[in-house]
Amino acid sequence: MKKILTLLLITISLSSCEKDDICIDETTPRLILEFYDISNPSNLKNVVNLKIKGVGQTDDLGIYNAVSKIELPLDITQDTTQYSLILNSTSSTGANEDFLQFNYTRQNVFVSRACGYKTVFELNGFPSGVIKTDAAIPEGFWIQDINILTTNIETENETHIKILF
Amino acid sequence: MRHISKFFFSVCIVLLSFLGNAQEKTTIKKDSIPPKKERYGLRVGVDLFKLTRSFYETDYRGLELVGDYRLTRRHYLAAEIGNEDKTVSDDQVNFTTKGTYLKAGFDYNSFQNWGNMENIISVGLRYGVSSFSQTLNSYQVYNPNPYFGESPVIISGEKFDGLSAQWIEVVAGMKAEVLSNIFVGFSVRLNRLVSQNRPNNFDNLYIPGFNRTYNGDFGIGFNYTVSYFIPLYKATVKAKKKEESKKKKK
Repeated sequence: MKKILTLLLITISLSSCEKDDICIDETTPRLILEFYDISNPSNLKNVVNLKIKGVGQTDDLGIYNAVSKIELPLDITQDTTQYSLILNSTSSTGANEDFLQFNYTRQNVFVSRACGYKTVFELNGFPSGVIKTDAAIPEGFWIQDINILTTNIETENETHIKILF
Repeated sequence: MRHISKFFFSVCIVLLSFLGNAQEKTTIKKDSIPPKKERYGLRVGVDLFKLTRSFYETDYRGLELVGDYRLTRRHYLAAEIGNEDKTVSDDQVNFTTKGTYLKAGFDYNSFQNWGNMENIISVGLRYGVSSFSQTLNSYQVYNPNPYFGESPVIISGEKFDGLSAQWIEVVAGMKAEVLSNIFVGFSVRLNRLVSQNRPNNFDNLYIPGFNRTYNGDFGIGFNYTVSYFIPLYKATVKAKKKEESKKKKK
């Protein structure tokens, strides 16, 4: 009888945990950009007041300062995502806007019960994977060079794209 | 290999328990009191829990038939056969599992009945197999950075056929005779998956007979049965050594 009671207790305690499962696995990754110095391509270079905004979005993704690594969410309902990147955005004269368009294919991969599915991306190969365009009123590019390090966007633990400026 | 040795071990336990029982037969009865007779037979029933749940829960339909056959004084061959159709609506996924299962094993009655009572408090083991299909109705991509808006619900409808699973259950249960030959009982079960055939790019989140799967291949089960006992024959209860030695002292 004691055994049955213990088993019952275990059952009740387990069933009450059902709703508690929280997604702790890595899910949909962001695109990881790292900024390097064009004059010394092996050295990281910090950005200054870099304002990033998705084209068509009303809110900024953020203004980044003194960092060399940025995570960009990709649109999981489209095969393309375009961002506006304005360097020195707080300066009235030195601001420079470049657009980056990322083209990719998507795949939904099952993760777990709590997380459900995640979207992983495969960037199109060079040169159509990342396309750089200038602002509407041309002012020159601040981004000098773009290297795609990996086309598989499956984890945030690695850098996908190297940007030299 | 790990699964095979586990199964083999549990089979050994079953055989050992029979061995222990067989030794009782060697005792010689010297008693003038008319020997106590116990009934042996087949008990068949239905799981009321699954049956009633089919009525009040729109996303669930299930039926389980249970049966046991009294093999020795304390051992019962036991089996459950059932069918389930369940739709689970979790936060991220909505899916339907349909399938049939069979569980077979034994129960050991550890209860000492008084007089002619035939109640049972048992522990037992089952080996379960299930054949089923999963349909992924809809899902939502988990996106921790929804800068481009909430992730939409994607209607899938993809069906995964020909799935199967096998598992071992440890059962603790009781049955009480409430009317002549009518028993009510309940049991709780701890399940451990032995093997399963997973769908591609999905998982067996629910297995008919096994129930919801937890991480680490564990599961729990429960049933509430009403059953009818069909007596087939009677056998004399063999006295135990303990009882004999008591009488000698007197």
